Parts: sequence; C-alpha cells; structure tokens
Amino acid sequence: MSRQATVPIPPYTRIGRPHLDSANIVIIGNGIAGVTAALEARRYAPNTRIVIITEQIHPTINTPALKQFVLGKLERDQLLAYPAGKERAERIHVVTARVEYIHAQQKFVELDGGRGFGYEELLIATGSTPRGFPSHLPGRNFDGVLTLHRLQDYLDLRRRLHELREAAVVGGGPHAIETVMALLQRGIHVHWLIRSATFMPHVLDQHASETVIARVRRAGGASVYMETEAVGIMGRVGMVAGIVTKQKQLLPCQLVLTCTGTQPACVLAEHCDTPLHCEHGILVDDQLRTSIPNIYAAGDVAALQNPQTGTYETRPQWYAAVLQGRIAGAMMAGREATESFGVQWHATQLGELSMLTVGNPLATGNDVTELVDTSQGGYRRMTLVDNRLIGYLSLGATQPDSLAIKRIIDEGLAVRDITKALLKGNFDARKYLSQLRSRAAHSILMPQKGHVAVPNPPSQVRLLPVTGPLGATPSLTQEQAHYTEPLPARVQVSAYVNLDEEMSPFTGNLPTLSKPSASGGVPRSPSKRRSAPRNLWSYSNKMPTVAPERNTKEEVLDV
Amino acid sequence: MFKPVLLHKTGPQIAQEIQACIGCNECLLACPALAEPITIDVLNCQTLSGSISPAVAHFARSCYQCGACVDPCPVGLHRDAMMMLLKVRLLRSGWEE
Repeated sequence: MSRQATVPIPPYTRIGRPHLDSANIVIIGNGIAGVTAALEARRYAPNTRIVIITEQIHPTINTPALKQFVLGKLERDQLLAYPAGKERAERIHVVTARVEYIHAQQKFVELDGGRGFGYEELLIATGSTPRGFPSHLPGRNFDGVLTLHRLQDYLDLRRRLHELREAAVVGGGPHAIETVMALLQRGIHVHWLIRSATFMPHVLDQHASETVIARVRRAGGASVYMETEAVGIMGRVGMVAGIVTKQKQLLPCQLVLTCTGTQPACVLAEHCDTPLHCEHGILVDDQLRTSIPNIYAAGDVAALQNPQTGTYETRPQWYAAVLQGRIAGAMMAGREATESFGVQWHATQLGELSMLTVGNPLATGNDVTELVDTSQGGYRRMTLVDNRLIGYLSLGATQPDSLAIKRIIDEGLAVRDITKALLKGNFDARKYLSQLRSRAAHSILMPQKGHVAVPNPPSQVRLLPVTGPLGATPSLTQEQAHYTEPLPARVQVSAYVNLDEEMSPFTGNLPTLSKPSASGGVPRSPSKRRSAPRNLWSYSNKMPTVAPERNTKEEVLDV
Repeated sequence: MFKPVLLHKTGPQIAQEIQACIGCNECLLACPALAEPITIDVLNCQTLSGSISPAVAHFARSCYQCGACVDPCPVGLHRDAMMMLLKVRLLRSGWEE
C-alpha cells in the first residue's frame, strides 16, 4: 500500500477559523536552532501563528554547558538557553509529538498517531543523533554504557559520579576530550581510547595533536590509548566491569562513555513525498532553503557549503546553530538574508588549554603560506594566501579574540601588519578593528587628501561566495490555508536590522538626553542609515540579520 | 554635554558574541562583583533588548570592569564588553524614564 494512501485529510482543507492543527510557521525541533528561529520569526511577524513540534521533554538548554553541569558548576535551572517561559511569552506554541512524514506538496506534516499539521513555512531543525557503539558490539547493553548526547545522558552521568573510580571514554573528537577533562577534574581515572593515530586529524596537525595529548597526560589520571578501538565490554551482574580493546587488553572501569561523534537526523528528508536533497545533512543554501520550496533546514541537520572548499558539510556547533536559527526565522517571516555564514569556527577549553580553530589551518598548496609558532608554551599555526588569512589554529593558556579572527578570514582582511601578533598570540583585536574603523572614517571624511592607508579598502573586501538556491523542485499549485494573517511577501534586505548601531563620534549616534519618539518605537531606521555599500563601518554586514518591522514594539539595542 | 562613551566593542560585535555564548557560567563564577544569583540566559537576553530586571540592573551597576570574566571564557568572548553595553542600556533607560 502506498504511503499516501494512509494519510489523514490535510488540515488546511477544513474551512473556517484557524484551528489548533495548522500554523503559518511550523518548526520541527526545539533545539537552539529551532527555538532561535521561532523567536526571530516572532520578532518580524508579530501576528503569525508559530508552532514548534518536538519530542524533547525539556526546554532548550545550553548543550555545550553540559560538561560544566557534570562538574557541578551549574545547576539544571542554569542550563536554560532562554529564560523560563520565553516561548509562552512570545506566543510560540509547543506541541509535543513526533513528526513522521512531510507532505510537501500539500504542505502539512503527519504526526505520530496519524494527526496532520498544516504549515505555510516549515523548518527542519531535528539536530543530530549520536553514533554510539555499533549494534554488534558485545556488552553494549550493560548498565554503565552511556552515550553522552542529551540532557538525560548527563543527568545519568552526574548521578553515577559519586560511585565512580575509573571510566573509559571512547572517541577522538572535541566532545571526547571535553568529557575526559571533566572527569579528570572530578578525580576520576580515565582510559581514553582514540581510534586514529593522532587527535582530531582533520583539524589539528601532528604537533598540535601531540600538544593536546601531552597536556591531557600531564593533567594526571588519564591513560591515553592511540590507534585503539573497543571490541567489547565486560560486565558483572549486569553492570560494566571493563572494556576490551582491539589489542586484547582489558581495562577495568565502572563506566563506558561513547563520544564517537554525531550524524545529522535526516530521517525526515526521506520521509517526504518529495525527498529533500540530502548528503551528510540536508543540503541548504545560505538562506537555509532546502530543495523544496517553503521548507528550510537549520542546525546540526543542515549541510551548508563551505566557502573555502565548496563542499557541503554540517556545522554541529552552538554558534552556527544560533546564526542559522536567526536566518531561518527571518526567512520564514518573509525577510531575506543575503549574508554568508563564513568559515568554520570552533573554540573550546580543554582543562587549562584553550583551543581555537578557524577556517582551514591545515590547508596546503603552492600558494599557501604556513606559519608556525611554539613560543610562550603555546602553539599557533596560520595559513595564508596572498597576504590573506585562510586558517588559524591556536593552543594556549588563553583564548584569543576568536570571533575577531573569524571576521578577518571571512572578510579577507589583509594581515600584513598583524601577522606577527597573530602568530605570537598577542593580537589585540579591539585595537586593530578600531584602527580599521578609524581609517575608514578618515577616508570617508577626507577623500580629497589623497590615499589613506586602509589595509583593505571596502570596495576590495574579498567576500565569501554566497551560494545560490539549491535546485528546487517545481513549485506546485497549493490550496491556501485559512489563516488569520498570511505571511508577508518576502522583503529583500541587505543591512542588519537592529543591533547594528555602533556608537560612534562620526555618525553622531551617541546617547543623548532627548526623549524617545512618541511612538516609543525605534527612533531611527537603521536599514535606511546603513543602506550604503559594505564598508569597514558595517561590521554588522557580516552578521546574517535582516531588516526590522517598522511597527515593531520591541526595544532594540541601539548603541 | 556628554562625552562619547568608549565601548570595548561595537554593538554588533557584542550581539555576535552573545550569540556565541555557550552559557557555561564561567564568567559569572569569576566575577567578584556578582552579589545575587543571575543566570546567563537572563543576562544575555537583557543585555540585548527588552526590560532590565532589578537584579540585572544592580549587577550592571556593580560591575567595575575588572576583566576577571574574560580569561575564563572557553570560547574567547568578552563579558566585560557586554556588561559595558548593559551599563549603557541602563543609562539610556534612565534617561528615557
């Protein structure tokens, strides 16, 4: 029997007032990307109906902070990504259900139990699922074998810590090492099994990998096993007693933690009457549009084009998910963002060691210049092409201004004057960016005075390519749902909307004692003021944001 | 006549940093001026927009920009700049009352 033969009546065929089983904007998943998208959509579409459909039984949490939760530095209430009740305050309805199927041609999703739920715009933000151990691994069902991914896993781990003396951690990525360091801080001996010959071979070079591993060993309490895999788990009366390695070594432990990476939760890409383009994630363009009209994807499930390599890849990081959520929310609310997400960026703390990777620090080629520095007990590696930074790797006691370095790569700013500082790890981003703005201002104010040495003139800023829309399937004629307020027509905007005002003596937008406008709204229209071409003033141009509703009542950052 | 307020970073930069905040709480743990419990989610939201609660306002006034919050940040963000922005918002809200 065909899949379509069993589907319920599409909800939008019901005539009358809006009902509980349809919404203008439907978001699948209440992770950080999903909820951020909902909040952003609400900002631009104050009267539309927004619904989040999720299986998760708790509000959105700061998942990167779960390690601090394990360490006891945070309580559960402190894990919330948004203040409690935020969804309710923003009139975002949350439906607890599982989406089984997407009927893209008729624009509704099928929930468990056979219910239908109509949509105008749909966002898939289903996140990722952990790989865990292979299903055939002996002993994987013993009590004490945990896959750390969700809040429940960490709650479980935290409950077990007081009776834990030895643990095994399996995995060779940042998640694994963060787990190892957290356990070490709790005084637990850790057996760390890494399958590859080096740590994070796709991100770190040999020296960086050795530096990280040496630091872990130096922290005390960790036994690191390179090129080692688990082939079985030993148990005793149903509980973990040890882990067996490929080298036939039995490592005694009471807990086995798998941190072997995640994979995008792409089931819905296939459970769709018009399957979405999917390859290691749902393929999206820079506006997060999938191959089907009115369906977007964001967060860990979305695969974006890497501007440096041209390949589509997921970005399972917190900051990327937030940005994607904002873009998706704006798009679904009828706005259009035209910005690139830029290069990959990952920053983390490994015990007392800060690690930062931006762009492609392992790039090779005839035109690539590699610079390495090992002074001050740290390690920094830069890759440059034609005086432009394309990759940066830093290991050290302190974290550099990581987002500023990302911006330098994203905008292709010349680094001739700051190469040494970047390499030595004493780059003063505030001073550098301030100088950039000052020089740009100088050139604007006094263009007749001759050339001003702007490191990278605004007109010559090398912009990262913005991917075009994916090969969309032909738009089908749709019956329209009966909503109270249809979504507004899409508005093309290029400037950052709110949060884009930088206090500056040149623009005169300093705080004044004047009363706000009688309307109480935004005193100025930033989009008008910042409609000029990209330049060094418009840092916000690199932020994927969109123009505000003119009638928005929300107070905006205006400094 | 007001002198220009010198922010560590611009508004957009701070907004970007708040979006990158992972909520680990390390900055607040390091803060010597924090006298009452404030959660990162509330602080981040109120730094950017909306009304400012009395607790956050008190914290913002107490912050003396020592910078102790910067080094502990695992992702290299600048809570001191965010607090400066919050101070400015607080001042503005006072002016507009």
